[in-house]
Amino acid sequence: MPMKGRFPIRRTLRYLSQGDVVFKSAVKVMTVNYNTAGELSEGARKFVFFNIPQIQYKNPWVQIMLFKNMTPSPFLRFYLDNGEQVLVDVEDKTNKEITEHIKKILGKSKETLEKEEKERKKLSHPATFGPKKYHLRECMCEIEGQVPCPAIVPLPKEMRGKYKTAMKNEA
Amino acid sequence: MSIPRGAVHAKWIVGRVIGTKMQKTAKVRVTRLVLDPYLLKFFNKRKTYFAHDPLQQCVVGDIVLLKALPERRSKHVKHELAEIVFKVGNVIDPITGKPCAGTRFLENLSDSENLTEADTTYLSEKLQELKVCSTDK
Repeated sequence: MPMKGRFPIRRTLRYLSQGDVVFKSAVKVMTVNYNTAGELSEGARKFVFFNIPQIQYKNPWVQIMLFKNMTPSPFLRFYLDNGEQVLVDVEDKTNKEITEHIKKILGKSKETLEKEEKERKKLSHPATFGPKKYHLRECMCEIEGQVPCPAIVPLPKEMRGKYKTAMKNEA
Repeated sequence: MSIPRGAVHAKWIVGRVIGTKMQKTAKVRVTRLVLDPYLLKFFNKRKTYFAHDPLQQCVVGDIVLLKALPERRSKHVKHELAEIVFKVGNVIDPITGKPCAGTRFLENLSDSENLTEADTTYLSEKLQELKVCSTDK
């Protein structure tokens, strides 16, 4: 049973998390003006259809507004925290070129993203066990090569406390 | 960097004016894209904000940029009008700077230099007829 819609892959978490444009913290609002007809707006239309979900997924606190058929030329406009506005003309550009351009001018660089990843990793210790929310694994039985969970596979007699105490009492 | 703007989470917002019946205040509707957790699709979620507009220059339908005030002005007004991005009926294309409507520019419409020869002769004939009529009377 296939997914509904024209390009339902856009609605998968994997596709959404593959977006690589993460805006700098100064970017607050992004406005896209494009036209529903015309060759020049084709790249902008594809950008809105394919890339805007990825961008919004990665930047949940940036307000994205879309305007259709307001002006003859398609453009993007960013409103930054210090009052600055960045106007990007996207006439006659493919959606890949548009994403590359935005990544270059207003996106966080790879090094910054890696640094943030490291910082986040430092907060949680990978060797501890506990609830899934705070730790990687819940119990030692999850790891391959360790004693399996007694709920699934009963422990051998020698490891059970009942047997051990019986042996001790016998001796 | 700037004065600590507290109180509000949204520092800069772009929205559409939906009401101007209050004095010096504009009611602005802001839409944000919110991910539906099951469908994994983004939908517009609306929220209304009240913005202080001292010159009452907003008309219903304008697209405006709001800036958060450093402290609340009244119980509901926490933003002020920073800039009218697109004025309704008078949209100016930011790339060329010319007035436009929809997908065409407006300034070429009333250009008398674009009239053809036939048009000018027809118009001048009509003018001549009018002159004759007026002298008769």
